[in-house]
Amino acid sequence: MNGAPSAFEVCGAVHLIRPLGMSANSLQSLRHGIAAVEPASLFFHAVQPPLRAPASADLPPDDFSAWIGGVLQDHETSERLSFAVQRSGPGPEPLRTALIGVLERSQRDHTVPEDAAFAFLAADTVPVPIVECDDLDTLFDALAGADASAWFYHLIEQPWFAGGRIEMTLALREAGAARLADRIDQLAASGIPLERLRRETLRTWRRSQLGSRMARAAASSDADRAGEGRDAIAKLARRIVRARSTS
Amino acid sequence: MKVEVRRDGPSLVEGYRAVVGDGPMRMLESLARRLRDHRIVMVNSTATGGGVAEILHRLVRLLEELGVPTTWEVMPGDAAFYAITKKIHNALHGTHAPLDADDHAHYHETNRRAASLLELDGDLVLIHDPQPAALVQHRRVPGQRWVWRCHIDLSHADRDVWGFLAPVLTGYDGAVFSHYSFVPPLEVPAFLVPPSIDPLSDKNRELDEAEIDRLLEPYDLPESTPWVTQISRFDRLKDPVGVIDAFRLARSRVKAHLVLAGGSADDDPEGAEVLAEVRQHVAESKDVSVLVLPSDAHLVINALQRRSADVVQKSLREGFALTVSEALWKRRPVVASAVGGIPLQVIHERTGLLVHSVEGCAVQISRLLRTPELARRLATEGREHVRDNFLHTREARDYLAVFAALDGAARIMAEERAAQA
Repeated sequence: MNGAPSAFEVCGAVHLIRPLGMSANSLQSLRHGIAAVEPASLFFHAVQPPLRAPASADLPPDDFSAWIGGVLQDHETSERLSFAVQRSGPGPEPLRTALIGVLERSQRDHTVPEDAAFAFLAADTVPVPIVECDDLDTLFDALAGADASAWFYHLIEQPWFAGGRIEMTLALREAGAARLADRIDQLAASGIPLERLRRETLRTWRRSQLGSRMARAAASSDADRAGEGRDAIAKLARRIVRARSTS
Repeated sequence: MKVEVRRDGPSLVEGYRAVVGDGPMRMLESLARRLRDHRIVMVNSTATGGGVAEILHRLVRLLEELGVPTTWEVMPGDAAFYAITKKIHNALHGTHAPLDADDHAHYHETNRRAASLLELDGDLVLIHDPQPAALVQHRRVPGQRWVWRCHIDLSHADRDVWGFLAPVLTGYDGAVFSHYSFVPPLEVPAFLVPPSIDPLSDKNRELDEAEIDRLLEPYDLPESTPWVTQISRFDRLKDPVGVIDAFRLARSRVKAHLVLAGGSADDDPEGAEVLAEVRQHVAESKDVSVLVLPSDAHLVINALQRRSADVVQKSLREGFALTVSEALWKRRPVVASAVGGIPLQVIHERTGLLVHSVEGCAVQISRLLRTPELARRLATEGREHVRDNFLHTREARDYLAVFAALDGAARIMAEERAAQA
């Protein structure tokens, strides 16, 4: 990609949800469950919720703290757990340790009926290759047209399972776009909702291109500039029409 | 027997693209590209009537348009077979309906005969519900992947009938359920694929104000009072009497009109009984309308939902309750019980309001009627939540993903991650 040794493949992801046949009806049984479940379950309950409401202005809560707050009505533990989910390092084991730490400190332990129990589920990822990109323009064009799962997959899911290493920004650095990569790393770590993450990342990309675009425009003929202007207006019109038809 | 799906009219892919946007459709197209060299066969027991047939008509055409060769076979059977499968259906829903040895034999014999008649030559076979489940024992060949799609809530299944069906399912590569609480202990991998609504159908498509006026004119509903509406059949588990009580409590504080609309109860003795109770409970109330609608009144239901100020689904027990997604899709604020699949659709205070009692329902109905900004916010988020999670395009995507996963995709990813760890 722009001099990088290999192309970068933009992927979306479908998460197939599997019931694990385990449930918890108290903080204690939740702690035991968290200690025992496979990484794909911690991923589903703690990391994946933002993908369920990508356009939401506010991040949805993780499943554990939502259940503790909403069903057990233990708001203090719910807040602590939510904080632990947001602040724990990437990967299943740091998260597991953080969650168990919060639950061990909790004093309350009442049980709820079986029909209000927390059901442990797991998410298996089916990656869906969308396009292979050889340069930055193609990469960001593909990302601009991709659905929320592609943004989630590249900036949240893949790094979470890889100890925080974002393969997409590694590819950007290899392609010589280190500042852009740094900014995207920051955005990915900021925990903002997906749609905002997408907007901010694309804005960062467009800004990073302003200098080279202006240089190109200055060197081009009046006719070419007029043509580009028409293209830009047509693109804007298409976006407005699309936004209206999907609203 | 092969079902010929209608292929006339505008493209479904483009119709759905206009609704869900380009990103999700590109994703569906990418997934479909991966399965183009495969052939899917869907099998169920009826080509008309019922939610499964409704979705198959759309799904088969959509998959074909996406380039995944897909056919639909309907299992043939005689009256005795359907009487047995009705018993199985009721027993899986929790009613005691024992099967005898003759029933077992006839069920298997009908499946055996059907296996020789149906074209089950695809490499990916999706069997819907219990009627054709035993085909797998008679027609599975090496190289095929068979998946059982159960649309039924098995959480209260009769143990004996489940004991009869469960051994048949060991022949499958996987099973798909709508909700985790519906999943029984199984020897094959289970996946969750929630059901979905069709945004292009008469029940959900956009209607203009003039069309809504015309559709609702015969029902003589008040124009100047906000409507609180529950749409569901007259069934005790839908708690229509509880809805009336909650409405009356709310009505003492805010002006509103209750609309209870449900299907005709002619062929359902219990439904007729519940309808009579509801009518008696309503008595002479001028602020409650009870509408008994024919089963094909999809456009009227659409219009009722669109004209309502709040939509209520105060069920005591539920399967998935897609009426909730239908209302959310129409940007209606929803008050609903936290049962069955409802909490997946209504995220409390984000996409709607969950309640656990008559009083809670009353509080939330009046809260929504008094706070239009809250109603607007919930309705907007609710619409997006349905767009992301409960439309046919997502269900089609999930089925393709199940097949891709069985084909090795998820296993490869899991192995890569284990290596990274």
